[in-house]
Amino acid sequence: MDEIDAILRAASGRAEEAEVFFSTSESIGAELSRDRVRVGQAGHAMGLGIRVFAQGRVGASSTNDPGRWEACLDAALAAMRLADPQPWEGLPMPVALPGTPLALDPSLSPAPATVAGLLASMQEGAASHPEAVVTAGSAGLSRSHVVVANTHGLRYEETETHASCSIEAIAGTSTGYEFASSHALDLDPRWVGEQAAFFAAFGAGGEPLPSGTHDLVLSPLALASLFEAVLLPALVGRNVHAGRSRLAGRIGERVADARLSLFDDPHRPMGPGATWFDAEGVPTRRLDLIRDGVLEGFAYDLRTAYRYGAASTGSAVRGGYGGAPSIGFHTLVLEGPVSEVMAKPAVYVRSIVGAHTANPISGDFSVEVSNPCMVEGGAFVAPVRTAMWGGNVFDLLDAIEGVSAETRVVGEMVLPALRVSGQHLVG
Amino acid sequence: MVRYWDLRHVAGETTTIDIDNGVIESASTSFFDRAVIRVLGPSGWGVVSVDNYRALDLDRFIAEALALAGLTGEPVELADAPHRVLPVPVPSDDPRQYELEEKTRLLAGIEAAARGESVRNTRAVYSERYETVRFASSEGVEYAYELGRSGFNVMAVAEGDGVVQMGYERLHAVNGFPLRTGVPCGEKARETAVALLGAKAAKGGRMRVVLDPELAGVFAHEAVGHAAEGDLVREGNSVLAGRIGERIGVAGLTIVDDPSLPGFGFDPVDAEGVATVRTEVVRDGVINALLHTRETLAAVGNGLAGHARGMPGEVPLVRMSNTFVENGDSSLDECLAECRDGILLIGSRGGQVDPGRGVFQFNAEYGYLVEGGEPGGMVRDVSLSGEILGTLHEIALIADDRRMHQGYCGKGGQSVPVGDGAPHLLLENAVVGGSGRD
Repeated sequence: MDEIDAILRAASGRAEEAEVFFSTSESIGAELSRDRVRVGQAGHAMGLGIRVFAQGRVGASSTNDPGRWEACLDAALAAMRLADPQPWEGLPMPVALPGTPLALDPSLSPAPATVAGLLASMQEGAASHPEAVVTAGSAGLSRSHVVVANTHGLRYEETETHASCSIEAIAGTSTGYEFASSHALDLDPRWVGEQAAFFAAFGAGGEPLPSGTHDLVLSPLALASLFEAVLLPALVGRNVHAGRSRLAGRIGERVADARLSLFDDPHRPMGPGATWFDAEGVPTRRLDLIRDGVLEGFAYDLRTAYRYGAASTGSAVRGGYGGAPSIGFHTLVLEGPVSEVMAKPAVYVRSIVGAHTANPISGDFSVEVSNPCMVEGGAFVAPVRTAMWGGNVFDLLDAIEGVSAETRVVGEMVLPALRVSGQHLVG
Repeated sequence: MVRYWDLRHVAGETTTIDIDNGVIESASTSFFDRAVIRVLGPSGWGVVSVDNYRALDLDRFIAEALALAGLTGEPVELADAPHRVLPVPVPSDDPRQYELEEKTRLLAGIEAAARGESVRNTRAVYSERYETVRFASSEGVEYAYELGRSGFNVMAVAEGDGVVQMGYERLHAVNGFPLRTGVPCGEKARETAVALLGAKAAKGGRMRVVLDPELAGVFAHEAVGHAAEGDLVREGNSVLAGRIGERIGVAGLTIVDDPSLPGFGFDPVDAEGVATVRTEVVRDGVINALLHTRETLAAVGNGLAGHARGMPGEVPLVRMSNTFVENGDSSLDECLAECRDGILLIGSRGGQVDPGRGVFQFNAEYGYLVEGGEPGGMVRDVSLSGEILGTLHEIALIADDRRMHQGYCGKGGQSVPVGDGAPHLLLENAVVGGSGRD
């Protein structure tokens, strides 16, 4: 974008430092309604985010009309003047980064025929369980480009591609859902359709579960929703120092089973958030959060790091071009003691209704488990009726019996299934 | 062949102020401009979403959308529906007459009110959004209106004896300025956080519960509202499908969605140009009507269009707006007396529903044990779940003290402002979840 240099030039006379984030994206998608395609869709997105800095004050603004960059810069400068000054030691200087794309499939182009093919394959997969019918589904392809540039001459660009598909099925009042998401066109849409229809068909007509203490096997989906609600926010440096994390002050202490490790691995090729640089141009690196059960560190962006005397961990992320970057994770990996998690009898928790209602500070939750079923000998044995599960996310980390060898990508996480003991269910 | 097209172009400004532990982290204004062009081809929809829309490009986007409609095989029809644009309520106190500095000062006062003994973190966030909506369609319907929403939330985190708890309050309005009167919300967040330090974890089980108006509003939204959305019914993904005219709850129970009311879910006209109207989903205990867009009305019937809502640049979906339980003739005191032993549940931390299975879950901010008809000890982390088709029969008493609360509802990746409300309700045989043990 030609305006980037113009914005940085205009800003440098009015602030000590400035940063521009510019993103564009072309996407295509289609949606199923029951057995037919109802919508074909395309998107042309763009956005410009500006941040300016002076004397420890920061201001930000954004627009998706690059032609209005001057008004956007004025708004960022006005915001800067209002913000309270905080310790600030500067935006990053440019360094040489590896040029190899980490999240790009050059063969993936947003083509309508590809999207239609993904939907058709999911439908074929779902047909393998004819007791279930498809209610809705979608498939999408996108190619996006981001630029981060600042007044120190830093200018990084990255192109990434994305493919995804998802489908919902129902049998009676038993519902099933499955999805797949990747940077490459290596999805298995037939498997996605088959899984959704399987869970819908298998879940029909379950018996109530006796209330009491059970072993549970949490699917990666169930685990991800609890981690997103509680564990991830507790590892964000800003929450830690602001008194909003139960893990504050516990670096070096054991916070999980000694066989569990959790780390961010941004350079894993085709990892969900794979990137060489973060949203404010800091080079990314592996970040150990929990190693062998011991809390090793938290995630920081520049602002939080400068304020609390830490170093940026390259963890700045943007949900879009708007606002300011926040602290997040790129490709979060959970590793633990691999075992046959479904060998001994347990209640398998496929997904959770209401994980976002968990208490993000204390970690306490009380949720509804969806598609629960009994598992044993590595197989799904019998469905059970829905149940309430009350517990605590931090305590879960210490109740681990084992993790599955197989992992899958859910959001920015790469997760196994997790077997935990001593969990309280109300049937 | 283009059978129909429409354009919805939304442009405006957002202002956000974030004060964290007394530090003004940000106070900024941003700009947005997004449009969605929908075309009905020979069978289904072709849709183009575009940032930074320019009217000169409309014909090109219509052609692009028509090509995309070629992917579809679902025959989509649109029901006729009345067109009308309601006047936008005139603000008694317009946020735009205040400078950003003044708003920051007011928010700082609210955040300061949340501080106190045992409180180790406070945070307050103000958000304001003004948008101009322009609509045009191949049927010659054209309108434009401007609407603003503003409000804040405030949080206090308290700590004592290794226990960490939070209190959270929020207040939002359409074309109003709740920031001016927000200090009591800061105080309330502090009081809740500190009081919860001494609360016990709730024990799960089946029991009688009394829901306060905020939580009972979320209950109406989660337990009934979503399952009445015409798109879910059309997909076969709602337990309410085919049940119009069936009794679902006690006589006297009426549940309404009404986007024409000037609550937080207000729309002067819906996202496809249709007049917004009151829809009684449940009338006197009987399923009465579904919520529809023109498309789902044609496909499913039994209800009213005018419930299409969409985020800027996104395809409109069937959405709730202002959803509430109408007043009954009981009172909170009667609900508590009749409850005898159970829990009084207060406030909402959100909820979720699987309308196909007919199962919902939502979480209270806190509660009080009810013993002998009197509220007693405080409990935390308590949730409620149930099945749509059974739960409404368990409503034993409906009080006459309805209040509305503001929130946001997510569906299909889109978040829209909603109002939920109800009077106090007494529910028999409720499934309460909590992490407490004997």
